[in-house]
Amino acid sequence: MHKRFGSLEVLKGITMDVAAGEVVCLLGPSGGGKTTLLRCINHLETIDAGTIRVDGEMVGYRLLPGGRLREESDRVVSARRARIGMVFQRFNLFAHLTALENVCEAPVHVRRVPRAAARELGMALLARVGLADKAHVHPHHLSGGQQQRVAIARALAMDPKLMLFDEPTSALDPELVGEVLETMRGLAEGGMTMIVVTHEMGFAREAADRVVMLDGGVIVEEAPPAEFFAAPRHERTRSFLGKVL
Amino acid sequence: MTFDFPYFWHLLFSTAFLAPAWTTFWVTVAAMAIGLALGLFGALGAMSRHSSLRWIVAGYLWLVRGTPVLVQIVFWYDAVAELTNNIINLPALIAGVVALGINEGAYMTEIVRAGLLSVDPGQREAARSLGMTNALTMRRIVIPQAVRIIIPPTGNQFIGMLKTTSLLFTIAVPEIFAQGTNIYTVNFRYFEVLCVVSIWYLALTTVLTLAQRRLERRVGLERARLGGAGQGLLSRLFGAGAAREAR
Ligand SMILES: Nc1ncnc2c1ncn2[C@@H]1O[C@H](COP(=O)(O)OP(=O)(O)OP(=O)(O)O)[C@@H](O)[C@H]1O
Ligand SMILES: [Mg+2]
Repeated sequence: MHKRFGSLEVLKGITMDVAAGEVVCLLGPSGGGKTTLLRCINHLETIDAGTIRVDGEMVGYRLLPGGRLREESDRVVSARRARIGMVFQRFNLFAHLTALENVCEAPVHVRRVPRAAARELGMALLARVGLADKAHVHPHHLSGGQQQRVAIARALAMDPKLMLFDEPTSALDPELVGEVLETMRGLAEGGMTMIVVTHEMGFAREAADRVVMLDGGVIVEEAPPAEFFAAPRHERTRSFLGKVL
Repeated sequence: MTFDFPYFWHLLFSTAFLAPAWTTFWVTVAAMAIGLALGLFGALGAMSRHSSLRWIVAGYLWLVRGTPVLVQIVFWYDAVAELTNNIINLPALIAGVVALGINEGAYMTEIVRAGLLSVDPGQREAARSLGMTNALTMRRIVIPQAVRIIIPPTGNQFIGMLKTTSLLFTIAVPEIFAQGTNIYTVNFRYFEVLCVVSIWYLALTTVLTLAQRRLERRVGLERARLGGAGQGLLSRLFGAGAAREAR
């Protein structure tokens, strides 16, 4: 797929497959288009050419008989997005809701789960990310790491088929990074399909099935982590790894 | 000329101003209700993807904010009847409420728009990523957070409106000031009458101010920072005092 902002082509032909249950880490220098790629996958951005399919279904567009693409209505796009979880660098927890309400919001109002059942689900998810005791606290009383774990629970509450993480630990104090990565590792081991933009090489090395290097709007190199880190084939990968490791 | 205290005292507690005060109050509430509704639609229109909607809102603001409210009041009362050959001939009270409400809508549009813009775009993105539609995102996530920003300036507008209703005396709506003029044109006791009129306005604005503070507490505007511990009447009337008190 291709994506441009005005005259600036940010993604210049990305072809990529992610298998169910696979964990892919996206690496690359700033401005390489990592965030843009994630945002295109759940149609927070339109795309200019190509298609994106999640679980076999196109996201954001419908194929017309002539082979042309037509952007779907807000309602259809929203329904599609509901099964794609996203975790943001800056958490973006709903500031006016408690942790539990954050988690229950979409199940109740999008999936129309009865309130009591949603509450139960919410409590179970908060327990899973180790925050059952913070259920009734507002985001501004939580640490960054706790906020990000609530954000993960919130995304999981929609029972996603795919989880997108955009530098989930970049805004955290170093001592809080571990708890979030731990939660993500748990998810990966549980078989969740994940695309993770990260600068945490340790996580990429241990948790990823595949590492993809994105630079200048193209995929420069992709390989299993052992191979990727031990014997990068491409010069640009080598210089990038030289800087971050 | 001396201040006729007994007359002032008598007028203050007479029933002469009860009905006019009630009229002032509900005209204010009705005009603000129209203003708020127009403000919400105006703000959504101003932020719409459709340029035609944005143009309509821009034209509305330009027209309404660019002309005196007194002119608009007389327009709705007299000019509309003339324009439509008396097919639409609004009673003074209705014309007044419509004129003030439409005028208010322009100012509320800007206030609501500022409130909506103040909500972090990340909140919207997060809601969208969870599968919430545009409308649901607005209703459940953006507007509830914008309300906190919108309430204080809206309180200002409410109090401003209460006083602006006095302009309706020009089209003979029986509100507080009109009642005052009725009385002093007969007995020429301007000072005493205007004192009573002012006291009635002060009483009503006081009620509105207290209602605003109450509402702010309910939506958590003063929030945990202030602890919500017993606040006196003064700090409730003058919000800034409350903030200082809590430090
Ligand atoms: N909404 C936008 N409008 C115009 N240009 C944009 C927009 N969003 C991103 N860009 C541009 O697209 C390019 C890729 O941005 P993107 O945020 O995807 O990079 P990134 O790989 O995520 O970088 P970082 O590591 O800094 O987060 C950048 O040059 C950026 O300036
Ligand atoms: Mg980015």
